[in-house]
Amino acid sequence: MTILRLAVRNLRGAGIRTWLNAFALSLAFVAIIFGQGLLQGMNRQAEDASVAWQYGGGQYRQENYDPHDPLTLEAARAPLPPELRALAEAGRAAPVLIIQGSIYPGGRMMPVQVRGIPPDQRVVAIPTAALAGDGEVLPVLLGARMAQAAGLEVGDYVTVQWRDARGAFDARDARVAEVMRTSVETVDKGIVWVPLARLQELTGLADAATLVTVERGLRRPPAVAGWDFRGPDYLLADLRQMVRSKSAGQALMFGVLFLLAMLAIFDTQLLSVFRRRREIGMLVALGMTRAQVIALFTLEGALHAVLAALVGAVYGAPLFILLGRHGFTVPGGDTWGFAIGERIHPAYTAGLVLGTTALVFVVATVVAWLPTRRIAKLRPTDALQGRGG
Amino acid sequence: MNICFWFAVLAIAAVEPPDGNALLARVDANIGSNGKVIVSEMIIQGRRGGRSVRTMSWVSGTDRAFTEYLAPERERGTKMLKLGDRLWTYSPQSDRTISISGHMLRQSVAGSDLSYEDMMEDPKLTNLYSAEVVGPDSVGDRPAWLLELKARAEGVAYQRRRLWVDRERDLILREERLSAAGRLLKTMEVLSVGRYEGRWLADRAVFRDALREGGGTEIRIDSIAFDVVIPEHIFSTASLRR
Amino acid sequence: MLAFLAKGLLRDRSRSLFPLLTVAVGVSLCVLLDAYIRGARDGILRTTASFVSGHVRVTTRAAAREGVGASNELALLDAAALQDELERDHPGVDWTPRIRFGGLLDVPDSAGRTRAQTPIAGMAVDLAPDGPERRILNLEQALVSGRLPEAPDEVLVAAELARRLELGPGDRLTLVSSTMHGAMAVHNFILAGTVRFGITAMDRAAMLAPIEGIRPALDMADAADEILGFLPRFQYDDREAARLAAAFNTGRGEGDDEFAAEMNTLRTASGLGGMMDLIDYASALIVGLFVVAMSVVLWNAGLMGSLRRYGEIGIRLALGEPKGAVYRALLAESLLIGLVGSALGTLVGLGFSYYLQEVGFNIAGMMQDATMVMDDVIRARIAPPSYIVGFLPGLLATFAGAAISGLGVYRRQTASLAKEFSG
Repeated sequence: MTILRLAVRNLRGAGIRTWLNAFALSLAFVAIIFGQGLLQGMNRQAEDASVAWQYGGGQYRQENYDPHDPLTLEAARAPLPPELRALAEAGRAAPVLIIQGSIYPGGRMMPVQVRGIPPDQRVVAIPTAALAGDGEVLPVLLGARMAQAAGLEVGDYVTVQWRDARGAFDARDARVAEVMRTSVETVDKGIVWVPLARLQELTGLADAATLVTVERGLRRPPAVAGWDFRGPDYLLADLRQMVRSKSAGQALMFGVLFLLAMLAIFDTQLLSVFRRRREIGMLVALGMTRAQVIALFTLEGALHAVLAALVGAVYGAPLFILLGRHGFTVPGGDTWGFAIGERIHPAYTAGLVLGTTALVFVVATVVAWLPTRRIAKLRPTDALQGRGG
Repeated sequence: MNICFWFAVLAIAAVEPPDGNALLARVDANIGSNGKVIVSEMIIQGRRGGRSVRTMSWVSGTDRAFTEYLAPERERGTKMLKLGDRLWTYSPQSDRTISISGHMLRQSVAGSDLSYEDMMEDPKLTNLYSAEVVGPDSVGDRPAWLLELKARAEGVAYQRRRLWVDRERDLILREERLSAAGRLLKTMEVLSVGRYEGRWLADRAVFRDALREGGGTEIRIDSIAFDVVIPEHIFSTASLRR
Repeated sequence: MLAFLAKGLLRDRSRSLFPLLTVAVGVSLCVLLDAYIRGARDGILRTTASFVSGHVRVTTRAAAREGVGASNELALLDAAALQDELERDHPGVDWTPRIRFGGLLDVPDSAGRTRAQTPIAGMAVDLAPDGPERRILNLEQALVSGRLPEAPDEVLVAAELARRLELGPGDRLTLVSSTMHGAMAVHNFILAGTVRFGITAMDRAAMLAPIEGIRPALDMADAADEILGFLPRFQYDDREAARLAAAFNTGRGEGDDEFAAEMNTLRTASGLGGMMDLIDYASALIVGLFVVAMSVVLWNAGLMGSLRRYGEIGIRLALGEPKGAVYRALLAESLLIGLVGSALGTLVGLGFSYYLQEVGFNIAGMMQDATMVMDDVIRARIAPPSYIVGFLPGLLATFAGAAISGLGVYRRQTASLAKEFSG
């Protein structure tokens, strides 16, 4: 306790230098938490968006469906089995029927996937309500990227062509009912959303679906013959892999930042030990063991980290809370190729803050301790006269 | 008086619509033959200009056809064999016979407005469609019957067609291919007709994809011979590598 | 005067060495970080540049409008002349033609009949051993089996695809595609080797072929879908790319010839503009933050440097040296330390950065599946800002620290000096 009180008093005595060190360290602190929070936030946002727009609580896929091979689509549809139909009717699942087709904006042919989805579904965030109604013209919903690529706007008419269950050509004039903005490219690019029932009727594929997205939090999805259930972990694996490879690079950067902050502590400690030889001699002469003196000095150094945490909290906490709540705008965030929105909300978890703090404390203590080892070599008599070291 | 009478009789006879299916059968009969050998040219309009492909085809009945490319030089010797619903192609450069199936059948032939599937289709329209005469019409200066065709089966690529058939020559002068709901998908227009072995045939026609902008694909018939006896061995995969 | 101060610094290690080292270490970290972030930015753009858009991409106007995936019908003709022209006008840039093609891969059985068929997405590139593509696509690293193609009719396919089709090096396969005019193209190739891309979509369907083999196969003699340009050292510089594009596009194909050549930059061709802005913004922020942190540390070091010499200054004042002279000497010393330390730090930082730039730090090597086209080598990049990003703050902060702490000289009471001296 004495040591602690002494250490605090010494630190206060050092005045501005202590605060500068603490400030430098706090910058590293805040930067690391900010950066990690940013990464976690982006990761979480990307996952959240993918779940919200596409994966829900997982997907049942018709066993022949291979999202990477459009040629399998024709074989990858089947009537909804009773278990899945019950879920869909309860509003807990959204069946999607995927048909290979083309659209002809401005006389140009663009291959697309025509996807039927129930307009009243609430499982995914796609604004399918825009597809409701039973007008003569087929309503279609496009993502903003798709709309841009095809040069279409809300209210425009476009011809959609496909082949029905038996292979006969069919084409309809469709009207763009809505253009949605989504960060999830895979429900946007190359996709034309239409009402499921209309697509089933037009193609003669009554009751058929290619995949069925279930609601979030659906516990123990039943096993259904002929359909493979893919949980969120499976569906998000690619995304997570990408984030992992990005965070490896970030770690290196933080290492450098960290190193700099530690340089400040190391330097301060070195100087302290050098300047305060007399004090050390005195303390030893007064009966402190060398270990106690080392402890005192180490504590002083390590206390910088505590101060840094406090200083960092003063300006960092409001910053984090503000950013976490309101996010910040990313220019062109939707062009990233994976799902983060245009606003990034960094995610600061308790684990992240505590973990970083603990790491800074441990490293600061070690760094503070290193230069004090020479105290052990000091002879009190020399030290008292300001010599040695 | 006599002359007038006969004109009147002709006019009445011409306006009285024939039975649709019977007319369609006559259209099929006009171009149908046990063995046909056709030399034709396909002129394809691309974005960079046109190019042409010359082929010689041996056709037997409705389900066997063998085609050999004569020009351009690059494609000379390429062969195709259709047996029922199966299609093979042989390319001399690679010396490979490749079966074309599924997805590939929907690709366009040589960059034209026609797909392999279009070419594979049963040429006998009466096998696929039932027909009804809508009424008299004309194409250019030729009086014609407008014929509405509805597919008999569900799998037929074009569920509906409209044919303008020359009233005297049993020859299609214009054609529209439509979806079941009546959406126009493809058109064919006859540019010129000629008389071959006593039959009137279209020898120049343009096919267009109605949904897409483009110059279309023109087909010209250079020569055609009917009732040719074609040796059986032609219609075998072995003949592809001949 | 300066020589005197320098001698003092050299002789008194505690006066010189520690502050100097502190400055040097701080500055070198700064330089390293700056180069590292720039390298990381390059890394993020690398995949897009390598596979999609190059640093600049020359295509026909029509193909540029339709984007990647435009039909081969819209390819550039007279590609060799165009490439010559590009190489003549911009000798530092690697220019390389590519053709993208789709179609079916048909695998024959022993009798030559179709054993397996699968759709593929192909890319034809210049695979010459001295050409740039082997390096750009990281092919040697990515090879899973066999070897790289050496003849025009040898190709690579994705290892996963080869596994599914039960193909191995030396096997014969046939590409069924269409020529740039739309005619059917059937061509035989031999599988030279298999590669792993590290991108799911490509690992399932990709085929890489020598462009001199694909040209005759697709009737594309002297044609190319695109000619990609890669800036020196494979480092994307938006301004330089924009300059190249502007110079190329000026006065070319006036009017509305949709087959006239047009150059686009990675930024415009890939749609990654927004992401690049974000990276630039974030890197400026991080480097700025770091410079501030370092300045604080060095400022602090400057402060301490003066404090350390409390006694010495007392003596000098007692001996009658004017306060102004002592202060100026302190400033001059700090300037010297800042100068030497910053220079040293910049050198060391550049040294590390250079190593990272040339050799790189391979995180993929630490992961299991290191064999792939997508390399995970972390690289740094030295650019003009590297030379000053550490140097200037290093110098200024040290100086500022000394200037502020040195003010204490003026506060010292002559009367108390003797006491301090004896104490």
